[in-house]
Amino acid sequence: MTMLKKILVEREPMDLSNGDRVVVETVGLTVVYGRKYAIKDINLKFERSRITAIIGPSGCGKSTLLRCINRMNDLIPDAKVQGKVFYRGLDIYSKDVDPVAVRTAIGMVFQRPNPFPMSIFDNVAFGLRVNGVKLTKQQLYEKVKDALVKAALWDEVKDRLDAQAFSLSGGQQQRLCIARTLAVDPDVILLDEPTVSLDPISTAKIEQLLRNISQDYTIIIVTHNMQQAARVSDYTAVMMPDENMVGRLIEFGPTKEIFTNPRDKRTEDYISGRIG
Amino acid sequence: MPRLMDIGLERLVNMLNDMATLSRTAVEAAVEGFIKGTPNENEVFQLSEKLRWLQDEVADLAVELIARYQPVATDLRFLRSCMEVAYGFSRFGRYAYDISQVITTFGELHECEKNEVLETAEVVKTMIEKSVKSFVEKNLELAAELEKLDSVVDKAYKNHLERSLNKPGSKKCDMATMLILRYLERIADHATYIGEAVVYILEGQHRPRK
Repeated sequence: MTMLKKILVEREPMDLSNGDRVVVETVGLTVVYGRKYAIKDINLKFERSRITAIIGPSGCGKSTLLRCINRMNDLIPDAKVQGKVFYRGLDIYSKDVDPVAVRTAIGMVFQRPNPFPMSIFDNVAFGLRVNGVKLTKQQLYEKVKDALVKAALWDEVKDRLDAQAFSLSGGQQQRLCIARTLAVDPDVILLDEPTVSLDPISTAKIEQLLRNISQDYTIIIVTHNMQQAARVSDYTAVMMPDENMVGRLIEFGPTKEIFTNPRDKRTEDYISGRIG
Repeated sequence: MPRLMDIGLERLVNMLNDMATLSRTAVEAAVEGFIKGTPNENEVFQLSEKLRWLQDEVADLAVELIARYQPVATDLRFLRSCMEVAYGFSRFGRYAYDISQVITTFGELHECEKNEVLETAEVVKTMIEKSVKSFVEKNLELAAELEKLDSVVDKAYKNHLERSLNKPGSKKCDMATMLILRYLERIADHATYIGEAVVYILEGQHRPRK
């Protein structure tokens, strides 16, 4: 339990001195819904201080892969996960690992903003409170402020922290959700098409904030928007359904290479809009 | 189903084909003017101006396609190369104009030995043909041949330069020939760059230059 606690609860700073920046690794990751394979044999490494985009046509298993990384698939009946997902070397699917602790270390932001029906302040403080973090009122305020500043929302809400979260615009609500995720000090942030319901200005703000915070986190973003992947990510993973409609990883590499000189013709055809 | 961007790409190729024809005509006219001793500066200038205008058109359309469709991979490399190729054709026109100005500058050149220019011009014309063909057909072999031919033209220019330097007292014919060989050598360089652009489109790599 010591290793578990160190990794998941205390989250000691990562030792980057040996050049190994891998925070999350999937090995032979396969997901089956009932009898249907959703993704098969996915081997990927996600690095610290890097944004990795996962792209691919609908139904290729991008979101399924993302949900495996913080055990969100546990909540889906009939979903069976095979293979391994390592977080800082720890197999997060081993029996003694608490999925709630995993989800604290590996936070998630969803497609549509989902603020809770409470004030802006309480939304951000929510995770800290439910996790039982003991803080003074001032410390809590500082934590909330810090998260809102990182989420590039502070200046817009600092004078109305008691207002209902639903009074915010869609783009602000999504940044609030990002602040809520940041408040519990995660190590990895998963984003499942976080700007799909937002206007271009709000989208640009979220992309900018992801770049601004990327140094301190490992960020993995699923997006249908190829230009967004090109704009925001350092690495890109391309997934594609095979002839049995099972999601496969077909190419992974630096975003610059994927978007200027992809090795796999299916990648070329997909990102150029010839298929998908 | 063709993509919206494909219509624009096709237009670009058509414009580059027009530029290829014009640039070939300009170089042929300029060399013929020198060989026959008939000044045609204005005619070649008009062709050169048309090429410069078309180069701007190609760049404008390429930028528009980038802004509208955010192309990636081969499409993106193709657009970048289109701009380089258009610049190459435009330079063909400009050097053709420079060649046509030699007669105007030096006057009567009937007494000059013109075989060296004639032979080099034939190689350069072949290079123009091959550069156009390699681009239109996306042909790597033709692109590779350009580099070899470029060495032939380089050598012709350098040989003449050395001979002229070693001759006591510089003469009008030597200077005129040297200038024309220099312009042909620059045209050959740009034909080689067009070949390199084809390699970049197909392989996504820039080959090292000699």
